[in-house]
Amino acid sequence: MNQTLIGFIKKELIQTLRDPRMRVLLFVMPCVQLTLFGIALSNEVKNIRLAAHFDSNDWVMSHIYERATVSKWFLPVQAQDSDPYRLIESGVADAVLVAPPGGFTKALARKGAPLQVLVNATNVTQAQSVEGYLNSIVSQTVLDDLKISLPNPPIQFDQRVLFNPDLDTSVFMVPGTMAMLMIITTMILTNLAIVREKELGTFEMLISAPISSVEVIYGKTIPYVVLGMSNFPLILMVAVFAFGVPMRGNLLVLLASALTFVCTAVAMGTLISTYCKNQQQATLAGFLFMFPMIMFSGMMFPLENMPPVLRWVAYLDPLSHYMGLLRNIMLKGGGTEYVLTHISVLGTMAVVVVFLSFKRFHTTLG
Amino acid sequence: MKFSWRRAIAIGRKEVFHILRDPFTLATALGLPVFMVVMFGSAIEFNVKNIDLAISDSDQTSASRRLMDTFQSSGYFKIHRVVSPNEALVNLTTETARASVIIPPNFEKDLTSDRGSQVQCLLDGSDSSTVAPVLGYLGKIQSISNDRIAAFNPTSPFELRTRFLFNPELNSKWFVIPGLNVIIMSMLSILLTALTVAREWENGSMELLLTTPVEPLEIIIGKLAPYGVLGITAMVFVYIIARAVFGVPFVGSLVVYGLGSLIFLMTYLSQGLLISVVTRNQQVAMQIAMMSGMLPSQLLSGFVFPIESMPIFFQKFTMIFPARWFMQISRDTFLKGSRMVDLGIPFLALIATCLLMMTLSTRIFKKDLEK
Repeated sequence: MNQTLIGFIKKELIQTLRDPRMRVLLFVMPCVQLTLFGIALSNEVKNIRLAAHFDSNDWVMSHIYERATVSKWFLPVQAQDSDPYRLIESGVADAVLVAPPGGFTKALARKGAPLQVLVNATNVTQAQSVEGYLNSIVSQTVLDDLKISLPNPPIQFDQRVLFNPDLDTSVFMVPGTMAMLMIITTMILTNLAIVREKELGTFEMLISAPISSVEVIYGKTIPYVVLGMSNFPLILMVAVFAFGVPMRGNLLVLLASALTFVCTAVAMGTLISTYCKNQQQATLAGFLFMFPMIMFSGMMFPLENMPPVLRWVAYLDPLSHYMGLLRNIMLKGGGTEYVLTHISVLGTMAVVVVFLSFKRFHTTLG
Repeated sequence: MKFSWRRAIAIGRKEVFHILRDPFTLATALGLPVFMVVMFGSAIEFNVKNIDLAISDSDQTSASRRLMDTFQSSGYFKIHRVVSPNEALVNLTTETARASVIIPPNFEKDLTSDRGSQVQCLLDGSDSSTVAPVLGYLGKIQSISNDRIAAFNPTSPFELRTRFLFNPELNSKWFVIPGLNVIIMSMLSILLTALTVAREWENGSMELLLTTPVEPLEIIIGKLAPYGVLGITAMVFVYIIARAVFGVPFVGSLVVYGLGSLIFLMTYLSQGLLISVVTRNQQVAMQIAMMSGMLPSQLLSGFVFPIESMPIFFQKFTMIFPARWFMQISRDTFLKGSRMVDLGIPFLALIATCLLMMTLSTRIFKKDLEK
């Protein structure tokens, strides 16, 4: 590497890290956020507010309600005598159990007792879970109270959840959040840094200086690759030590995929910057890319369900590959074929984007 | 000096020229929400289907084939047949399947000899969005296959009749789109203001503005109003798309919804202003806007990750985010038709954060000027 380039990189690093707020934003915030989101976020549905309507002498029913509200899934709501529909409409309860007329205990004796459940379905995921939870609670209580035991079915599915047997949500969420936070410190920062120089007019100065445009590009991008990568060990430590996310794969493989991702992200930032005139546009463009990238990453929604065209869009999202890689390497130990495929997809993206941004740079400089 | 609307309007006009001169900003502010609602409205689907499932059948009998048919005809899975149990397992690591079913060699024999047979189902636990639904599907398929293959169908002593209120078909779009508009609006409004004011500080034109006889409040109102109009316009666009393209019902009162949107926009506009006054630097403003506006509104508003499932501290913590409250107002007015009375708490909270942000930003702005 030549002297000019090293000097350039140094200048860029100093310039970025000079602002104490920037240092905090770069190194402290990602760790804090990972911790916050790691604790807070979960896909599991629990603490559903459940109300019930039944007579006080309906003992099976009161057992059901008791069992439901001591489980972590439901919280009791004390509103015995108003209209069940109104309870949900006013937002006091999310679900209401309504015993059949004459009581559930009596109806059970008559065989075939429809127990009504009203569920607020404005939240689709919650509504789906309520039905399943209640079903298992009711059948368990009925079996215990009335000593009815159903015969074992002849075909039994022995279900096992691999890689995360306790369904610990932070194990799912933390690798996803790691990937998400890294895109902020790479793509967005690079983009802003370049556009800032353009806006201030110092970019013109660089061009007139005796350095080649290749050196300019490398000098502007390598520091951000360095910054992005220096972030990674910190985040990884939080994930492994604070959240106990397993690290089953090879650390070097993980680092290699992080590096490929950071390069791709920085390259994208550079390409975007060639289209932006001022920092406001750069910021808007950053958001414009970041929001879909998170949405299509597979962290919030399963990618399997998307229409085929949009699945292709998701395939072009570097974040989806990186998130897949993080999960695969950390949780599953990394399938060689999978890891190689996705690292090379990311690498190809980086090369294509770098090529495009070189071309753009030449035309804009010319 | 007294507050004068004339001067505020003059500042507003100047800001409008700014916006109109930069077609990129205008296009983003109006086009982006529309594009995103259409795109994500069609992309997001919670009802998981077409899950890749690897089945290894070591039995190769009519019973095992019927079991496979049951999986096939359920419509939830895309079946990949593999030759060995080991391959079924490897498929999970290579991400070619989300779940694997291993039918043991003596499946049919065990079944006819009344010993009962065990079918092993392995699930990929690394993807949270598919595990829970797949577990549910497996339960259903287990009882169907018992009925079909072994004619085992005991009558349950009870029946659970579930009524899904407000969204009887559990349509994901109805759930996602009223939430999506909250997120898009929060992004847009914080961003636009955070950047415009920060830019004025950076360019030094704010200093210029200060030497003129304009009051701080006039500057603030003049600067925010055009973006407020822009935000409301975008909101109307999104509403029309939700209704016309995706057929999301709107059973509530438009007045309640409109009022909520207005307060929400004002809150986020003043938050943007606050950020820009404090940072005075676009790069930092951007980072803070991202962390205080975009990420919390996506992750901590209850959009996808339920607030009820968070630890108590975080449930309280989410209360400081206006997006959480507007999320509730938006979903409830769209689907439930909640009245103002039912939404008292969200509205009060929204108004409180709005007033807080407005006073804070005016105060700090004023103090800066007097220095």
